[in-house]
This record gives sequence, structure tokens and C-alpha cells, in this order.
Amino acid sequence: MSVFMDLNLIYTGDRTGLRTLLETAAHLGFSTVAINYVFEPTSKKKQEIPTPTPINELIDHLPVVQGRSRPIRVLNRLTVVMSDSSHFRPNATEYRSFDLLAVQPTTEKLFHAACMLYDVDIICISVSEKLPFFFKRAPVNGAADRGVVFEVSYSAAIRDSTLRRYTIANAINLMESCKGRNVILSSAAEKALELRGPYDVTNLYPTSGASDTDVWTFMFTQLWCSVTIYFCVFLTRLLSGLLFGLSDGDAKEAVCSTCRSVLLHAETRKTASGIIYTMRSCSDSAGQEGAPGDPEHGDPPAAKRHKLVLTQ
Amino acid sequence: MVRVKSRYLLCEVIVSDRSRLLLLDDRAIAIAVKATVARIHGDYGAALCSVGFSVKYLNAHTGIVFLRMPKRCYKLLWSALPFITSIETRGEKIQCFLNCLHVGGTIRTCQKFLIRYNTQQLHRMLPKCKNEEEKQQVSQALLNCTLVGGTDEAFEDELRSEEDEEECLPNMP
Repeated sequence: MSVFMDLNLIYTGDRTGLRTLLETAAHLGFSTVAINYVFEPTSKKKQEIPTPTPINELIDHLPVVQGRSRPIRVLNRLTVVMSDSSHFRPNATEYRSFDLLAVQPTTEKLFHAACMLYDVDIICISVSEKLPFFFKRAPVNGAADRGVVFEVSYSAAIRDSTLRRYTIANAINLMESCKGRNVILSSAAEKALELRGPYDVTNLYPTSGASDTDVWTFMFTQLWCSVTIYFCVFLTRLLSGLLFGLSDGDAKEAVCSTCRSVLLHAETRKTASGIIYTMRSCSDSAGQEGAPGDPEHGDPPAAKRHKLVLTQ
Repeated sequence: MVRVKSRYLLCEVIVSDRSRLLLLDDRAIAIAVKATVARIHGDYGAALCSVGFSVKYLNAHTGIVFLRMPKRCYKLLWSALPFITSIETRGEKIQCFLNCLHVGGTIRTCQKFLIRYNTQQLHRMLPKCKNEEEKQQVSQALLNCTLVGGTDEAFEDELRSEEDEEECLPNMP
């Protein structure tokens, strides 16, 4: 059983809008969502970092997830858009109140720093402009080793054709250096109609051009699919049938495990409890499948493995 | 002999205003899908879409659509579906999106899935009922579909051998 997560719903002040957004996400089958507060520091110093609104103030009754009997799980997330290294303050107490912490670097230097040094969970890939730099192997691999994941959001691509091109281009750029590992796909939806169902989002996993060895952590993205499909269409004319090598079970395992490892990483960052986890010996079908820290059968997520290596 | 294989996508049209669902018809959806495929995948996609693609079934009350696609290129066509943002019908634009629930190799597996899905929806509706009359209606509907389910199971046993032919992606939860 897979648990789908969408770790990026843009926070808007509009309360009814947010409620319909959550209801739609629950209806589509997302078990966990994160409400994203975007913080964009400009040149003037000391801007207010937004504080998250507690979820029970926003919505009094959480909707039940489609296909399950539990209410949807809502987290808070902060995204810092960085154009200068002073914008991210590692020790700021304001960051404590968020469950997830993300940065969006705009220059190559900051990207390198974000991958190698900053204590964050997610690195956002810009979708509104053509990236001014290439992703280098070293920082991307470093981020993968540290358990930091990259995020591509798709709602801008649904909205606009130009942004679609930028998103696809940047996603390909990323794909080439990270080979499809450690990537999550999120919606960045502001309105309910910008969300898409989990199966639609992941439908094209086998068409990616990545190697089979990394298959279990693949989060195949819809966008990459449409990205790679061009390539694949071209290729399938030449060598039809060669590309569809990945089994459905593997890919489904991959869809949720990367997101789960993000949550685990965030937990580890905030407290120490992400390092230690408990495993239920008998499989109790209904109750346990949802909790993100809950290891199910199959391989452990990337962050978990990494932490084990660290503690040795 | 090899028969023609196709994939049936069971999709749900999600709109913000449910009353506007009734405006939908088969042709509008087919046109919207074809236009989107052409927009996303260009001429190649449009050409693929013109061969084996059709809208098999539409329930305007619940917003359920069956799309039929040729097996060899259904992933390509499916990848364009998330980019549908509105469907134009009778001069009006309906803001909506398609959410794929199930992919099946035959219509029959899709129908079985749909029956189960709709039962699930009724179960979800039951606690949300506001007055006694609604509650009566929903529970009546639930009883009806268990009756159908019972006969369906008996029917299934008869046709067990046929099921081997069916191919169904392990796509449902």
C-alpha cells in the first residue's frame, strides 16, 4: 500500500480556498500534505519570517483521505528564496516552528552551499525561469548523500506554456545530474483545480532514461515523463519496447519512499527521534501504513540509511 | 490471431461547481483531450490520438469518464491528461481537471472497479448526511449496490476462466 504525499501547497490568506484545497487533496488520495509559506528576503535586512498558522485554526475538521479511514495529515513548511548567503540563518529560532525547511537557491554558489552545508530538507528547483547555471555532479551527489532532496513543482507548468518549457528544461537539467534519485514532485497549487491525482503525476515512470540500478528510489515525475517522452518517442521508433523495463511495484515503492525520507530527515533535523525508529513485527493492515516514520516492507528510505552510516 | 488491445482509463472529472457537470457531453471531452494531446505532444501525439482513441462512457451526474486508448501509446496520451484545465462545451468553459482512478485492459474490470469505488463514495457520504431523509436515501442506495454486488459475484464465478485474459495494471490502491 502506498502513501502519497504532496509536500507543497502554497499558503494563501484565504481560508475557504485553503479548505477546498485540503479537501481536494484528500479526495485525490494524498495522505500527507504540507502547507508552504514562501519567504523571500529582499535587500533590506531583518524581514519578518512568517509564523505558521496552527492547522486547527485554519480548518476545524480535517477531511478523510480517499480510500482510507484516517484524516489527512497536514504539516507546515517554510521555503526561503535565497539570492544572498545572508538570507538563510541556520540558527534562527523562527525555523523551529516549521516541520519542513526548504531553500530555493538562485545562484550556483548558493546552490552548492545549499547542497553541501545548509541544514535543510528540500532544495527547490526554480520553475519560473531558465536556470542560469548547470547542476554539477559534486553538489548533487553531496545532497544525495546527506539525504537532502530536490523538488520540482508542476502547477506552473499546467498554468502556462512558457513556464512549462522552463520547468521541463530545468527538470531535464536536474535529471541528467542526479539520475532521478532524490527527487520529489509537488504541486505548488494555490487553487484546488491546480492539484492533480497521484496516479496522473506518476504515470510515466518507466519511460525515464535512467539506469535500472537506482530504480527503487525513483520518483518519476509527470513532467519528466513528458520531457522524456519526446526522447522516448524518438527512441521507441528505433528500438521499440526496450525502454519499458521497470515493474509497477518498484515504481510505486519509489513514489512514496522519497517523500517519506524527507519527513524522516526533517524529524531528524529537529529532534533526534528520526534516527531511532520502531518496527511493528506483525503487519497490522489498517492502522500503521500511514505514519511517515513507519518503515514498511521494502528498502529503507535514503535518509535512514544515511543516518545509520553517520552514527557508525 | 492476436486481438486488438487497448487500455481503458477510468477518470473522474473534478469541478469546483458540481452543477456544471451536467453540461458535459462525450464530444466535448474528446475534443478537449485531443486538443491537449496536440498541444503537449505536437503532431505526433495528435496523429496517435486520432486512431484508437474514443470516449466510451460518460456519466454527467457523477462525472465519470471511460477513455479508450490504444495500448501501445496510452502512456503518451495519458501524460497529456493532467494539462487539461478546462473543457469547452456549448459555448461555455468549465474549469475542471481529470483525475485518473483506474487503468484497465477491459471495460469489465473498469466497471467492477467503478462499482466498488461508488460504494466507497456512498460510505463516505453516509456520515456527512444532514437530515434523516438523505440518510435514508444513501443507505437505500448502499443496500441496492450490495444486492448488485451479490449477483455480480455469482456471475463472476461463472466467468472465472475469462478473467485470465484480462490485464489490469496494479494501479489501484
